[in-house]
Amino acid sequence: MISDQLATAPWLMWFSIAGVTLFLIMAFNALAAVYVERKVSAFVQDRVGPMGQGAGLHAGKWGLLQTVADAVKLLTKEDIIPRAADRKLFIMAPFVIFIGAFISIAALPFSSIIQVIDVNIGIFYILATSSLGVIGLILAGWSSENKWSLYGAMRSAAQIVSYEIPAALSIIVVIMITSTLNLQGIVEAQGGIVWGFLPNWIVFNNPFAFLAFFTYFIAGVAETNRTPFDIPEAESELVGGFHTEYSGMRWAFFFLSEYANMFVVCGIASVTFLGGWQSPIPGFMNSPFWGLFWFMSKVLFLMFIMIWFRWTFPRLRVDQLMSVAWKYLLPISLINIFGVGLWILLVGA
Amino acid sequence: MGRYLVNIWESVSTMLIGLGITGKHLLRAKNGNVTLQYPEEKWPRPERNIGFDHQDYNVIRSRLVVDINDCTGCKKCERACPVGCISVEALKVPKGTDLGVTSNDTIKRLLVTRHDIDMSECMYCNLCTFPCPEECIYMTGGPNSHKTPIDYEFSEYDRNNLIYKFAVATQEEIDSYTIPVPVTPAPEGAKA
Repeated sequence: MISDQLATAPWLMWFSIAGVTLFLIMAFNALAAVYVERKVSAFVQDRVGPMGQGAGLHAGKWGLLQTVADAVKLLTKEDIIPRAADRKLFIMAPFVIFIGAFISIAALPFSSIIQVIDVNIGIFYILATSSLGVIGLILAGWSSENKWSLYGAMRSAAQIVSYEIPAALSIIVVIMITSTLNLQGIVEAQGGIVWGFLPNWIVFNNPFAFLAFFTYFIAGVAETNRTPFDIPEAESELVGGFHTEYSGMRWAFFFLSEYANMFVVCGIASVTFLGGWQSPIPGFMNSPFWGLFWFMSKVLFLMFIMIWFRWTFPRLRVDQLMSVAWKYLLPISLINIFGVGLWILLVGA
Repeated sequence: MGRYLVNIWESVSTMLIGLGITGKHLLRAKNGNVTLQYPEEKWPRPERNIGFDHQDYNVIRSRLVVDINDCTGCKKCERACPVGCISVEALKVPKGTDLGVTSNDTIKRLLVTRHDIDMSECMYCNLCTFPCPEECIYMTGGPNSHKTPIDYEFSEYDRNNLIYKFAVATQEEIDSYTIPVPVTPAPEGAKA
């Protein structure tokens, strides 16, 4: 009886559809991002990256099937759990990280009508959930029973907790200007024109907001554990960091979550600072469908910038990492809040 | 405080310089890459001498080629080969069968049904080419470069493709000599 009721309950159907769609978005995002990552790294280093001269032995035209082949390889790999590992936690860790990324994507407004759940405290919700992943990282590092994993987990905890603060303080600038926590509300507040010709995105609203965008973006790169802030998995120092002992499908989940986290961070950056689904030319192609296009192109552009960062900058030392967070980003974001407050007082939002 | 601002300025400006350099490489990816996609793209064959100035041997690498029309099936190359990578099989044809002549005007008396050279075993000693009475087995390049063009390399996806099969005799041709023509049986009691 209960199962009948569950099967006919419309909310369950919609939740399943939304869940499957989100998972597909995440999976496709990871597949595409890995491909772009490899190609960009190759081009930066004057190589050609994955290439093929057709199907069969090779990875398809321009190596387009390379990540598909990688995924098949990871799926069919042997599932190894070290004997010394804490079995339950070891199995749980990738899913905790994955859930953190998954529930963050759910609140992102892809367009004015496409959004899984419109929370009225959306930005607060995403800030809370996107840092949930750090629990998974610590679980992975602790349960692996491996010193490299533990080092990586400790570093990532220190790093993510530190960089949460400048990121959140930069977001406060946005909340001050739009005076709402709702993501749709934030995007709607960014329609129109400012300074005569620029779209009324918060990044162009005033000089302090402009600075806040860069503060947020740098902190966001650090939150996703990507180079130059990749000390939790520093290959040259810690083998693989927190995922040293993982292989096959479980490792793939870490990877999936890393790219999903990139998507979330870039999604928040584009929603809060770059006008979300608003068209760059106000009033031009602003239908809900084109909104999806604008949002996705902003997110993908920011992801490309992140990939570009990765293949340009060397890794920071731990002390440099901490000094960037606490001595530079934190004061700058506090000044931003003060400056935006003054701006609102004197000029108006 | 001054130092602090200088630090910020320096990090931002040097970051932009770095991004500029990598961005420049990113944009010229089409023409600037240094990768040679080997099996599909090849360097031009280097023209160079292998140690002594003799125009007969100025090739990098050659391989064995058999002009099967000139082969008489004498198996001298097979016997000469130190590693045994040549295998020749010849079929004795009935008397009076015309198999043609070689370019040295030798009458061919054997039908070569198999002439395989396993190039993955060959050690390029050239010992098989000297005994050949018809000079039909030879290394490409040098004085023979006009007969067969020199390859850059001869790598294959499948190792079996490195066994070169030179024999051209068709199965029908072989069958016509091996399957005995039914002859009229001898009359009863002829033996007795």
